[in-house]
Amino acid sequence: MNTSYPGRVVRVNLSDNKIERQQLSSELLRAYLGGRGVGVRLLWDDVAPDVDPFDEGNALMFLPGVLTGTSTPCSGRTTVSAKGPATGQYLKTSVGGYLGIALKMAGVDAVVVQGIAEQPTVLVIDEQGGRLEPAGDTWGQGVKETTRRLKQRYGDDVEVACIGPAGEKLVRFAAVMTSVYNAAARGGIGAVMGSKRLKAIVIVPGRGGVRVHDPDRFSAAARQARELLYNDSVAPDLHKYGTARDVDILNELRLLPTRNFQRSALSGDAYNLSGRSWPKMGYLERIVSCGGCIYCCHRFTRVSSGPYAGTASGGPEYETVAAFGSGCGILELEPVLAANALCNDLGLDTISAGNVVQWAMETAEKGILTEDDLGGLKLSFGDAEGMLELLMMIGERRGVGDVLAEGVARAADKIGHDSHRWAVEARGLEQSNVELRGAYSYALAFAVNPRGPDHLHTECLAEFGGTNEGISLVEKLTGDKSLAVPDTEIGRAKIVRWHEDMYAVTDAVGMCAFSTTAAYSLDEHALAELVAAATGQEISGEELMKAGKRILTLERCFSLRHGLEPSCDDRVPRRMMEEIPQDVQKGEPMDRERLSRMLKEYYELHGWDPETGRPLRTELHRLGLDFAAEVAVGPCEKGGSR
Amino acid sequence: MLKRLQIYEDRCTGCTSCQLVCSFAKEEYFSPALSRIMVDVQQEQARFRPRVCIQCAEAPCIETCPVGALSRDEATRAIRLDKGVCIGCRRCVEACPYAGVGFDEEQGLPLICDLCGGEPACVDVCRFPQAIRYAEEEGDNA
Repeated sequence: MNTSYPGRVVRVNLSDNKIERQQLSSELLRAYLGGRGVGVRLLWDDVAPDVDPFDEGNALMFLPGVLTGTSTPCSGRTTVSAKGPATGQYLKTSVGGYLGIALKMAGVDAVVVQGIAEQPTVLVIDEQGGRLEPAGDTWGQGVKETTRRLKQRYGDDVEVACIGPAGEKLVRFAAVMTSVYNAAARGGIGAVMGSKRLKAIVIVPGRGGVRVHDPDRFSAAARQARELLYNDSVAPDLHKYGTARDVDILNELRLLPTRNFQRSALSGDAYNLSGRSWPKMGYLERIVSCGGCIYCCHRFTRVSSGPYAGTASGGPEYETVAAFGSGCGILELEPVLAANALCNDLGLDTISAGNVVQWAMETAEKGILTEDDLGGLKLSFGDAEGMLELLMMIGERRGVGDVLAEGVARAADKIGHDSHRWAVEARGLEQSNVELRGAYSYALAFAVNPRGPDHLHTECLAEFGGTNEGISLVEKLTGDKSLAVPDTEIGRAKIVRWHEDMYAVTDAVGMCAFSTTAAYSLDEHALAELVAAATGQEISGEELMKAGKRILTLERCFSLRHGLEPSCDDRVPRRMMEEIPQDVQKGEPMDRERLSRMLKEYYELHGWDPETGRPLRTELHRLGLDFAAEVAVGPCEKGGSR
Repeated sequence: MLKRLQIYEDRCTGCTSCQLVCSFAKEEYFSPALSRIMVDVQQEQARFRPRVCIQCAEAPCIETCPVGALSRDEATRAIRLDKGVCIGCRRCVEACPYAGVGFDEEQGLPLICDLCGGEPACVDVCRFPQAIRYAEEEGDNA
């Protein structure tokens, strides 16, 4: 059963050089689907509460989805999960490229890595299983060179997922890079890999392929899904101009985080930063796709003249442009492309890296980080060379880079002088580049995101009312389409609740958010039809969404078990709660009271205790999560409705 | 005028969706190794090259086949393989000037596009990039 995702796990223990096969039960697959869902279920059992993210007891997991490797459009995604170094709590990241398809073709549905290798190691996975080999001369190398050398060693057609120097040096925002330029970026997942001395996973192409239970039914469902995606209103521009297509428009709307969120727009035209301009300016060399996608929103960019000539890399995405462009007060694209290429090669999350640099710029402008502290750098907003030098120092943990490599929360602890006030983080994770002070669903979603404040757990784009699909969805969720506006508390909890379940399902089946929650082509029923046809397990849209809620709830339980305190952790960064952008005349910060009211409604909708934010035991029972009852509150009722 | 499969290499984004739908259309499961269209992916430089039979007017594969296992479908101009006759000698693979013929090592048979009988599955998944088109001849064919 579960034809397209039979639950084949490769378990690796690097401490004692052991590789074993594990078969997941069909009950587990029914409850958690695959990908992110299977990940959190395994993490619950595998990682004890007293385990530090860098201990050998932490488990690093690579989990393609239920539909990955099939022709389901946009289904090439892989969850990479662990106890996270930024938060000390639950962490999932999602990555595209070819990793997931390669794993499924090699007959692997999940890879779980525990232990710490004595020497830097490479894990080679093929259809026969796996083997551990010395990392040799790849240790210390950047992502490009590492990938080159591993392809020389194992063959041009192998897929490589690796860390760069940043992961080796345990930078708390190091990424795992795959297909050279695709990042499992956030939360320090690359540092977990580095702590295990695992330089890379190499996947040898398999021939077994991926089967589906009912080919005719699947074929029809996939064709219909494709048709819906092609007809989505955001699709053509997403393909042509990528995720950074609207940077200039966001700037005009004053929704573009600028100078460490002190401002909401660059003074000047942001057209150069916008993906729309890159083809004309000659920076776009190629439109690139993840494996199995029909949208192809990734880019390959190159600078062919001037001081940054020779820069060539995958991306940048919107988040990277905002992090190193507007965020650092930089109007030109070329330094942004250089920062993007540098982060890709060091193996750094561009969102956190940019945020850290911005914090350092502001701290330097306030006179707290001096030229001496910065190793001779006169850092200020707009300083492109300073930005690039600082990134190198962080990636190599050189000088002040060693402090900054810990992320803004820990750096502010160390530097002091009230610098927490402009450390734009919550739970230890740097916020992504969304202006949430006027976008209340985003604020709520960021506050409850288990990995910290970003948009990649719950993408509530519908609340802006920018597309017909978004407006219809808000109407479906709240009964009132006039609520498709971002600056109201009303209906926000309902909007967040739907989006977070849908995102969990999307990750579990291995699809991209642009198919379900950041654009809204496919609903739960379309996904259920694909899953049923692919796995042979009949499942309704409602059951699928319940699985999404189960996954989310267990993630919450994992974090509670590992130290989450809802009363102080369910929050947005301080700057969001205390200040409004300096260039905005009206408006209010996302103050604590407003957030608390929305949180209470959100907890209630979840069946969690509205005061403490802890799941009620009755709700855990309803979701089949009785085993997690230790972190819940309320009476232990048996026999609740299932 | 008859339609022909046309490849625009510089538009390919490397999604490899064509390989997935092709193997599924022909073998009922997903395996890029069995696809009749093959995409060379050079990740670091983002260079992608789809290779597939483009139904040349003169078909060196047919001429070179020592046992007459290949023929042309009159309706679509696609190359037809008679699996029962084929001896797996790979001369068609070597003869194709376009590197458009693959080989299934397990079955010992060449992998040649048959245009799915006139509705090639790969074309529909390439609607945005338009790197694969099934259309009447165009002047600027890459």
